[in-house]
Amino acid sequence: MTTLAATAELNSIESSALARSFTGGMISFARREFRDAIASKWFVLYTLAFTVLAVGVSFLSLSGVGSQGFAGFGRTAAGLLNLIMLVVPLMALTAGAGSIAGERERGTLLYLLAQPVSRTQVLLGKYLGLAGTLVCSLCIGFGVSAGVLAWKAGGVGVGAYAMLVAFTVLLALAMLSVGMLISVVSRKTTVATGLALFIWLSLVFVSDLGLMASSILFKLRVQEVFGLALLNPLQAFKMAVIVNMNASLDVLGPVGAYASLTFGGSLAWILASTLVLWMVVPLGLATLLFARRGTV
Amino acid sequence: MRPAILAILIGLLAAVAPVAGGATQRASVSVVADLIERAAPGDEIRVPPGVYEGNLVISKPIVLDGNGAAVFDGLGKATVIEVIADGVTIRGCTIRGSGEDVTGEPSAIRVTAANATIDSNTIEDALFGIDLQEAPNAVIRNNTITSKDLDAGRRGDGIRLWWSHGCTVEGNTIRGSRDMVFWYSEDLRITRNTVADSRYGLHFMYSHNTVLEGNDLYDNSVGIYLMYSNGITLRGNRMRNNRGASGYGIGLKDCDDITITGNALLANRVGVYLDNSPSSIGSTGLFESNMIAFNEVGLLATPNTHDNVFTRNAFIENEQPAATHGRGRLVSNTFARDGAGNYWSDYAGFDLDGDGFGDVAYEPRSLFGAMLANEPNLRLFVHSPAQQAIEFTARALPELRPEPTLVDSSPLALPPTIELAIVDSGIGGARMGVLAVALLSAAFGLVAAMGSDRRLTAQHTGGGA
Repeated sequence: MTTLAATAELNSIESSALARSFTGGMISFARREFRDAIASKWFVLYTLAFTVLAVGVSFLSLSGVGSQGFAGFGRTAAGLLNLIMLVVPLMALTAGAGSIAGERERGTLLYLLAQPVSRTQVLLGKYLGLAGTLVCSLCIGFGVSAGVLAWKAGGVGVGAYAMLVAFTVLLALAMLSVGMLISVVSRKTTVATGLALFIWLSLVFVSDLGLMASSILFKLRVQEVFGLALLNPLQAFKMAVIVNMNASLDVLGPVGAYASLTFGGSLAWILASTLVLWMVVPLGLATLLFARRGTV
Repeated sequence: MRPAILAILIGLLAAVAPVAGGATQRASVSVVADLIERAAPGDEIRVPPGVYEGNLVISKPIVLDGNGAAVFDGLGKATVIEVIADGVTIRGCTIRGSGEDVTGEPSAIRVTAANATIDSNTIEDALFGIDLQEAPNAVIRNNTITSKDLDAGRRGDGIRLWWSHGCTVEGNTIRGSRDMVFWYSEDLRITRNTVADSRYGLHFMYSHNTVLEGNDLYDNSVGIYLMYSNGITLRGNRMRNNRGASGYGIGLKDCDDITITGNALLANRVGVYLDNSPSSIGSTGLFESNMIAFNEVGLLATPNTHDNVFTRNAFIENEQPAATHGRGRLVSNTFARDGAGNYWSDYAGFDLDGDGFGDVAYEPRSLFGAMLANEPNLRLFVHSPAQQAIEFTARALPELRPEPTLVDSSPLALPPTIELAIVDSGIGGARMGVLAVALLSAAFGLVAAMGSDRRLTAQHTGGGA
C-alpha cells in the first residue's frame, strides 16, 4: 500500500519543476518520508509509549506532596531525563536505521535514485522527513506532560522545561544521524536494526558501566572521567540539561564540580556543541558514503 | 551644549527642592541629631521627609519615626545609626550606605542597649544590616534588608544578635545578604522571616532554647544551620532550593534536644544534614511530620550519628532517601515511634491488612548508593539508565546487595498530610499551560505542513505555473 502510494507520488515528483531545485527536491522527499512515517506503526507506538511514560513520570513524582508540588520540578525533570535517555535514542536510531536499508530491501531505492534528484538530496530529504516526525512525536509527549506539570506543579521552570525539550530534539537529531549512517552501510533492514540496537545498548549502558568500572579500577582523575564521559552524546545531553537547570554541575559530584569550575559559563556551549557534532559528523559521513557508493 | 543646560537644570532643582520640601531634600544628619537633642526622653520624633547624610548616634530613649519617607545615608562610611540608649524605637526609615571595609563591621543599625524596637525599616547597601550586641529584649519586625553587592562570603550579616537574650525577630525579609545569625542568645522568638539569595538563612551558634516558626528560606547556600545550640524547636518552616556549597535544608552540628516538626524541606541538595547530633548522652533529636521531598539526598548523616527519632515524616522523591557521609549506616537512629514509621515514596512493600502501615519493613539497599560512598566520582552517573541497571542487578543478585542503610519497621502506606502556615505566593500554572499548548500545536502544525496532500498539490500547480 505504502509502496504504491510512494510510487504514485514519485511520479509526481518527476513531473514537478520543484525537483530541479536542490531544496525543492529535498523537501518533496522529506514530505513523503514524513507522511509514510506518521502513517506507520512505529511512529504511533513510540509516540504513545513516550507520552504515557512522560506523563506517568511527571504525575508520580509529584503525588503526595500537596501544595508543595511546585518545588518538584527538578525531580520531575530528573525522572524525565532517565526516560528520555532510554527511549529517544532508541526511537531515533531505529528510525534512521530503517530508512535507506528499508528502501534498499524493498527495491524502491533503485526507483528513488532513478528520479532527477541527486543522492545527497534523497538522503537529506529522508533525514529531514524523519527529523520532522521525531520532533512531532516529542512535541506531543512533552506537550501532554507539560500539561500535567501545569496542573500539578504550576508554572515553575518553564524556561528549563523548554530547554529540556530543545536539548532532547538535539539528541534525537544526533541519534537520527547515527541511524542514517548505519542505514547507508547496511545491506538489509535486519542488519541495520541489529546494528542500531547494538549502538543503543552501547551508548545507554555499556559505555557508562565501562567508564564506571575504569574509573574505579584505574583510579581515573576527574578531568579524565569528564573527558571520556563527554564522548558519549547521552552524557553530554544529560550534563547540558542539568547545567541549564541548576546553573552548575555540583549535583554530579566531584566530576561535575570540576567541569563547572574549569569551564564556567562556556560549559553549556561545550556540551551543546558536542551534540551538534554528533549530529553533523555522522550525517556528513552518511551523505559521503551514500553519494560515493555505486551500490544500490 | 546639552550637558550644560542639563547641569543648570539640575542645579536649579537642587536649589528649589529644599524650599519645596520634597523627598529629595538633602541635609546633614545633624538636623535629626538636633531634634533628638531637644526631645525629652520618651518623645516621638517625626522625621521630616528627606535624605540625611552622615552617621547618627541615639543616646536617649526616643521614638524615631521616618513615616516611610526619611532616608539615612551613611555615604559609605562606618555605621549609619548607632543606638546606645535603652528603649529606642526606629520605625519607617530607609537606612543605606554603610562602610564597606569589614574592620569595625559597619552596619545600618547597631544597638548596644536593651529594649530596642526596629520596625518596618528598609535597609540597603549596608555591609551588616541590624547588629544587636548585648541588646536584650529587642524587637526586630517587618524590616527589609539587602547587603552590598559583594561575594556572599564578603557580605555582612543581614541580622546579627550577639549575646542578646529574649529578642523577637519576626516578619523580616532578607535578600542578598550573608546570614541571619544568632550568637550566644537564648529564649528568642524567630517567626515568619524570609531569607533568600544569602549564605545561611538562619544560623545559630551556641544559642539555646529558642522556637523558630513559619520562616521561609530559599535559594540560600543553607536554609537553617544550628551549631552547638541546644533545646531548639523548628516548627512549620519551609526550606527550598538551598543548593550552595553545603546545600542543606537543615544542618545540625552538635545540637542536643532538637525538635523538628511540620517543616517542609524541598529541592535542597541535602534535606537534613546531621553532624554528630545529638552529641550528649541521653539527649535526642525528634523529627516528626516533616515533608522531605525532591532533594538530592533526603537525610545525610555522619556515620557516628545516633539517637534521632524519625516518625510520620514524608520522604518523597529524593534521589537518595537517606545516606551516610562516608561509610557506615544509620541504624543507631530510630525510624518508628509508637508503631508509626515514615512514608517513603520508593517503598516497594504493601499493606494487605489495610491498617495504614506497610506489612514489611522499609530497608533501602541501594548498591549504587553504597558505591557512591566509596567512589564519589561515580555521582556523575546519577539520573542515567546505567544507574538503574546497577540497582536492577543488585535486586537480581542478592549477594551483591549491601546492608540496608536504615530500618523502618512500620512504614506508612500513604503520605501524611503536612500543612504549612506559609501560603504560596500564587504561582499559577498558566505559563506552563501555554508551553503545553505551544508544543502540541507545533506537533499538529508539523503534521499539517508536512503531511497534507492538499498543500503538496497546491505547490505542484504553483511550481508548474
